[in-house]
Amino acid sequence: MTTVDIHAAPEPAGRRVASFKPDLLQSSEHDLCPGCGHPVAWRLVLDTLVELELSRRTILIAGHGCYTQMMKISDLDSLQCLHGRAPAVATGVKRMMPDAAVLTLQGDGDMVSEGLHEVLHAAARAENVTALLFNNGVFGDTGGHMTATTVIGQRTKTSLEGRDATTHGYPIDVARLLAQIEGAAYVARGAVNTPGMISRTQRMIRRALELQMAGAGFTFVEVLTMCPTGWFVPTASGPEYLEDSMMETFGVGELKTPPG
Amino acid sequence: MAPRLMQGSDAVADAAIVAGCRFFTGYPMLPFTELLENMAKKLPAAGGVCINAESEIEAINMALGAAATGARAATGSCGQGVSLMQEGIAELALNELPLVVFTMARGQQDYFQSTRGGGWGDYRTITLAPRDIPEAVVHTQLLFHLADLYRTPVIFYGDYVIAHTSVGIDVEELDFGPLPSKDHWALDGTMSGTGQARQIWTWARGKPNTPGPGPNQSWVTIADKYAEIERTEQRYETYRAEGAETLVVSFGTTSVFVDRVVDELREEGVSIGSFRPITLWPFPTVGLAEATRGCRRVLVYELNAGQMVDDVRMYAEDRSVIRSIGGVSQDTSGMRQGDLLNADELRTRIRRAVAESTAVGS
Amino acid sequence: MEREVLCTGVGGQGVQIAAKTLATAALDEGRQVMLVPRYGGGMRGGMTNAEITIGDQALRALPVATSAWSAYVMDPSYWSTIRPNLADGAVVVVNSSLCAGLGVDVPGARVFEVAASEVASGLGSPMSAGFVLLGAFVAVTGLVGVESAVGAMRQLVPAYRTQHLEVNAGAIRAGAALLPAGAAPAWGPAAVGAV
Repeated sequence: MTTVDIHAAPEPAGRRVASFKPDLLQSSEHDLCPGCGHPVAWRLVLDTLVELELSRRTILIAGHGCYTQMMKISDLDSLQCLHGRAPAVATGVKRMMPDAAVLTLQGDGDMVSEGLHEVLHAAARAENVTALLFNNGVFGDTGGHMTATTVIGQRTKTSLEGRDATTHGYPIDVARLLAQIEGAAYVARGAVNTPGMISRTQRMIRRALELQMAGAGFTFVEVLTMCPTGWFVPTASGPEYLEDSMMETFGVGELKTPPG
Repeated sequence: MAPRLMQGSDAVADAAIVAGCRFFTGYPMLPFTELLENMAKKLPAAGGVCINAESEIEAINMALGAAATGARAATGSCGQGVSLMQEGIAELALNELPLVVFTMARGQQDYFQSTRGGGWGDYRTITLAPRDIPEAVVHTQLLFHLADLYRTPVIFYGDYVIAHTSVGIDVEELDFGPLPSKDHWALDGTMSGTGQARQIWTWARGKPNTPGPGPNQSWVTIADKYAEIERTEQRYETYRAEGAETLVVSFGTTSVFVDRVVDELREEGVSIGSFRPITLWPFPTVGLAEATRGCRRVLVYELNAGQMVDDVRMYAEDRSVIRSIGGVSQDTSGMRQGDLLNADELRTRIRRAVAESTAVGS
Repeated sequence: MEREVLCTGVGGQGVQIAAKTLATAALDEGRQVMLVPRYGGGMRGGMTNAEITIGDQALRALPVATSAWSAYVMDPSYWSTIRPNLADGAVVVVNSSLCAGLGVDVPGARVFEVAASEVASGLGSPMSAGFVLLGAFVAVTGLVGVESAVGAMRQLVPAYRTQHLEVNAGAIRAGAALLPAGAAPAWGPAAVGAV
């Protein structure tokens, strides 16, 4: 019996699952901040596309934000569109390409500030697209400014003392608005701040895409993601801060599911 | 086929459909509304999609999405609605996506909007201004061709009169020649997961496997493309202008009135002709310089406070002979050209201009 | 006499605040200043450059220098964007912790290397690396006084980062101690460079 040498690494070296790059990424290099939740959320989307065998028929429409980098490094036919307009652009794409899996990727500034009109109408028209909202309650790409989902008390560069209802009004819960619209078949909100939430969120994304391919109507998954830079909190506190601020304000879960 | 009585909006809709348009969207707004109604009625039967958009901003962006898949797509509005589409038109241009935008103008001749645009960046739109419904039917099909040929948004400049007038007409399908394939850029999802996924992005950065030229080189290339179009796609028409002392310059519906008055005044022995830009952009600079050479007076008749006259001044060799004889003119509804769209009024203004500059010392 | 400083780094390294600190310090010392930043979207990653011009009288300088007197280099990633705009003989202060192997091929350049990131980590504050490099830069060039830089930093640190004031001050002074003071002076009779 050969004895194992405990003073050297095993041959061949064990492979850590966490370093495995998904096929749908052309590169795993990006410039996002340490602690950013977007790469985690995007990973779930890519893994789901592969699981559902949609890799060769997906079209991605991405808005403007830090997450646009996810579009750039992904191996998906992509269109970068005007701020807020992704659901309208997706409408034109899906109507001409009904067999494609059409996804929109927007942040809260893009969808809920600039593009509230577009997403509500796409839902009303029951467009068979899946709209993804990566919501971190702040305009991260421009340096950390208030959006329509910034929570009360959150400091940003345009609400330095913390968002205050009398001065800045209240955040909008777009998922709740969409859940009331008949054309919306599936509306859910997840988060990526804990392993448990990550698993739940992946199931939401999967459900949304399955329903799109079944022609059920408009599907929507909001993912609460971390932005420690925009939130002015230390990197490592991002996940906990998300729970205390965004989850506290908006909650998570499936807000609307198809009957039966 | 025998001619049928068709409203302009109806004939244009048929022309768009025979040209292969399969996606149309818009927001009802007079005098664009009938075009939307006609497409809503006819496009689905032709295998296309017509959506009543909830806003003009939605419309231009939906149309952009459809165009990105390689489909022939169109949208439009009146000048007020096209104002909201400016960002979208610029985005189409800088993404090199083809689209036909139908501007059905109200009372004012929106020359600046249709040739300068209010979007960002260095872009132009090929803009055709038909004078009547038969020309509108030809231009509609030509615009779909030019949009695909050059990968650019283009503008059909129509108005209340063209949209609402009815004439006997037969819409014939026209072939303007071969076009490059869209396969290498149009998105259909099939290149996803192959390592060579396509991407449409105004910053043209590409993806890691297929790096792009970046915004600088991409926009330089696009600017060069428009410079080339400017050289090669100028179109215009002159009427009885050979040796004319007086030249009247106008575009669109207005030019029909001008040519009628030119005939009447010629009967009286007045030395007069007309010049009509057909492409508002690229403005027919060469044609205009030739036509105005040696004229005693160049009278610009447009129904606005003076827009096309700027281009006439820029390209005529002798600026001193140029005068504006048009003006702002709205009818009481605010939706249509007013009292200046009138042959009698035009004749009066031409006579006055001729008399004033024939006087001693001028 | 005008002196230009071209700063380059990657988003998140503190280049912009270091540049603003230098500009503010020069103004505090009674000179004329122009500060021209250059950066895109995103808070981290990506190019972040800045140009500072400091002079005795009303500045003639343009917002884009083509013959700059010096450079402050935190990171090699965007070095190529400033290298063509440096004058021969430029003073180049480099963060050797990240710029190993950066060949400064400016003819006659006077290059000074500072392990700014390591020093900052050693002080327990990796975020202050940009200020360490700034301290070294101002010490070796005398473009502004070290304490002027500290004073400017105190004015500029935003309200939500005031917990870092003393650490930043320490970083500037620690950096200043790493290079020989006045070894490549910007002002005075020993100064070398176009007027």
